[in-house]
Amino acid sequence: MAEIIQILILGLALGGVIALMGSGLSLVFGVMHIVNLAHPALIVAGAYVTFLGFRYLGIDPILMMIPSAIVMAVVGVVIYKLIFEKEARSAKYSEMTVLLTFALAMSVEGLLGVLFTNTHRVTSPAYATDAFFIGNVFIPKGQLYAGVISLTLIAGVALFLKYSRLGYAIRATTQNREAAELLGVNVNRISIISFALGLALAGAAGSLVSFVFSFFPAKHWEWIPMLMSVVVLGGMGSILGTVVGALVLSVIAAFVGTWIGATWSTMTFFLALFVILLVRPQGLFGEKPEMS
Amino acid sequence: MTATHLQTTSASAVVEARRAHNLKLARKSDQSRATWFPLVLLAVLTALPLLQFTGNYNYLLHLVLFTASYAAMASGWNILGGFTGYVSLGHAVFFGIGGYVSGMILARYGVSSLITAPLAGLIAAIIGYGVGLITLKVRGPSFIISSIALLMIARILFDNWGFIGGANGLTLPTNSLSAEWSKLPYYYAMLVIAAVSVWASYRIKHSKFGLGLRAIAKDEIKAESAGINTRFYKVLAFALSAFFVGMAGAVWGEYLTYLRPNIFLLIGVSANLVLMSILGGKGTIAGPVIGAILIVALNEIFVALLGASEINILGTGVVMILVLMFFPLGIVGTLAKSGRLPRLLNWD
Repeated sequence: MAEIIQILILGLALGGVIALMGSGLSLVFGVMHIVNLAHPALIVAGAYVTFLGFRYLGIDPILMMIPSAIVMAVVGVVIYKLIFEKEARSAKYSEMTVLLTFALAMSVEGLLGVLFTNTHRVTSPAYATDAFFIGNVFIPKGQLYAGVISLTLIAGVALFLKYSRLGYAIRATTQNREAAELLGVNVNRISIISFALGLALAGAAGSLVSFVFSFFPAKHWEWIPMLMSVVVLGGMGSILGTVVGALVLSVIAAFVGTWIGATWSTMTFFLALFVILLVRPQGLFGEKPEMS
Repeated sequence: MTATHLQTTSASAVVEARRAHNLKLARKSDQSRATWFPLVLLAVLTALPLLQFTGNYNYLLHLVLFTASYAAMASGWNILGGFTGYVSLGHAVFFGIGGYVSGMILARYGVSSLITAPLAGLIAAIIGYGVGLITLKVRGPSFIISSIALLMIARILFDNWGFIGGANGLTLPTNSLSAEWSKLPYYYAMLVIAAVSVWASYRIKHSKFGLGLRAIAKDEIKAESAGINTRFYKVLAFALSAFFVGMAGAVWGEYLTYLRPNIFLLIGVSANLVLMSILGGKGTIAGPVIGAILIVALNEIFVALLGASEINILGTGVVMILVLMFFPLGIVGTLAKSGRLPRLLNWD
């Protein structure tokens, strides 16, 4: 019994972080219908920003969330202006943007490789290697903090989307772009804001990830299917769904990892993606088959 | 009685007339096509190893071999990604399967991959068929993501399967030829595979099957209602494209003399196939070959000038972004659209 609670807690804590990693992806897809394959690469970039702050300025990785989020938001605006604004008029928009973000992911990976080499990195604040003990159950502080902060941050974003004026506009654009535009929402501006917000979440997630996982520039490839499975399971574009998907899958992955073997825990996410494909042949994102 | 007889004769007359018309069209496009150019190119490349008598040109041979392997794989990828419009980022899986099937046979039974390459291709095709049955249910972004997931799954499986050496891989026996001639068998094998891939993709494009694939790329629902068995066509296209990638992988494995998941199951390999096909011209015959030549040349320049594989990744990514944004039809496609495609490059 203690073992099951133990695994459950570890799974939920990790699930919180994964939810934060996926929420930006979900937001960007909801508003712009961009499947941003570069999102995980930018999370890695955020982790490197945090790593720099931690190593050279001694700033706590959790505090580094703020500068990291700001840097990534700025990067987001630049990327949007340079690439996606032009592509918005392209006929094969959704397929085109996937390939573009794929190329972007490669570019980010290459750039990080040039700047930071391929050494595995991890930030090591004191709490990353410490744990609470409650009876037989131990809770690693690092994962617990990361999970709780992630879920709090997501709750904050959800409240912002629900109650602020800007949040109304973003949700309206998600539901129906044309109708939102007719009602006076500046859809292009909303797109930029939500892209920047999505990447700010990536930057914040990067800071938390930096002490939960070890990372290197090519790390993001395994995160792409992982985050996709989470986001798709919960329903693309829904942040609450992403949280549920992340928690469910990472708890399953935690059980698989303990009882079958650590290498198979990431496999849970990838296989989930295939199972979803089998069960939902209309597509991962719940769209009807595209007509071009 | 006579009425039906009349009808059948007139119907066959129509068919006859249509066939004559088609033949005329085909002859016309034959005249504008420079079929001799690929043949001359092939002849030159076949004679190229003669240079070895005059000095050491191993590196040149290596580059041609490398380009040929990518030309074969990109042509194979093009059957699915270009003709059918399903962009796969997971084709490195079939490269790996081909390499490992032939490599394992070589390591266990000593049969060279030059003989077993078609078998390796076949196994890759069968696996491709099975995967296609699942993943080709979805299209667009969903398909692309499922193909990345496929690659990640294969990577974990190959990394952890002790029988095939796991993450450490497998060392293969080297051949007994002297250093200057040891590349030759693989050189010719890869050249043959590339030539067959290009020829096959030409035949496929001009068959009824290829017409069906191109209809699927344009509008799958209309294709379906026009009576095309789209599911079977797509899955078959997937299997065929896996076949050529698998064959190239088989020869590549023995040429390298070792197999390791982090050489074969790389997303960079998949990315190169996509980039080559799109840069050269998706859905054209010459496109993937031209793309392969350009990208290999570009990689050489990057590595020679800047010397790091990270820069290579960065360069590939940036070139891909630029091509996608400003040149989505690729070289052959853009030139053909503006009617300025030189006859040398019109292999379609």
